[in-house]
Amino acid sequence: MNNNPEENENQEDKPNASSIVEKIQQLGQSNIPQAPDSNIHVLSIIGQVEGHIQLPPQNKTTKYEHLLPQLIAIEQNPKIEGLIILLNTVGGDVEAGLALAEMIASISKPTVSIVLGGGHSIGVPIAVATDYSFIVPTATMTIHPVRLTGLVIGVPQTFEYLDKMQDRVIQFVVEHSNIKEEKFKDLMFAKGNLTRDIGTNVVGKDAVAYGLIDQVGGVKDAMSKLTEFIGSNDSAEGGVIQ
Amino acid sequence: MILYTPLAQHEIFPDDQEGFSNVEHIAYGGRMIYAARMKDGTYQVQQLVSTDPQDYLRAEFSPGSILS
Repeated sequence: MNNNPEENENQEDKPNASSIVEKIQQLGQSNIPQAPDSNIHVLSIIGQVEGHIQLPPQNKTTKYEHLLPQLIAIEQNPKIEGLIILLNTVGGDVEAGLALAEMIASISKPTVSIVLGGGHSIGVPIAVATDYSFIVPTATMTIHPVRLTGLVIGVPQTFEYLDKMQDRVIQFVVEHSNIKEEKFKDLMFAKGNLTRDIGTNVVGKDAVAYGLIDQVGGVKDAMSKLTEFIGSNDSAEGGVIQ
Repeated sequence: MILYTPLAQHEIFPDDQEGFSNVEHIAYGGRMIYAARMKDGTYQVQQLVSTDPQDYLRAEFSPGSILS
């Protein structure tokens, strides 16, 4: 297992590297043949959105501290012309989720999201943060009230804090999608749709009918929409490119 | 911390928290990778963290490949 044949041409590896870590560092600097640069980058948001507290390791998580710098890099790199967000998330930390959503919403480059499988809870504001959102017909989005996990100290204050946090989520979704605030709240506080819980599980077409998501569609639709956005950006900029 | 998720607390924070502890994030080839450290000191790729879709086509970043 140790003696894999080296595939890299410009290998600077010394045969007697003292430790495997050094080897990895050296490999990291070697010239690996580059695939052609893609002008569209992909950000996948999977599992739990992890916030300030690291979740136990059996959770599959998306860490905001990884994604936020990547979003800045995408904004800065002139070779990247568009961004696709792939969502299959069960929700997670409210502040980390809102941070991601705000970052995606404030990127100047065209962005498109696809909700695959599930875009639950805090996945909803992330999905609607893009310029245009898609949902595949089988995907679902659970909309339910914000709740607290962990220790509760000072119940009235905590309740108010939760309520404000919930308002921030609602405001963000209403501002970045076509859903009416009342409709979103209706879905959020609906009884009888979820077993032993309040809220609504919105499936593909319904999400579009409520105005939450722009269109039912998959990869093909998302790519053509993004290409269309990139095309109109290019023509708006005119001929002068430095 | 406020978690906004339909999952129950015990699904996120199980009583028994063992396993998976050998997974680390490492930098390799200028990309961030989650890799499991094997008993012989090598790393096995678990997940690549990159926004460039072309990175995912590169054999050395594919899950399961051994970084030696």
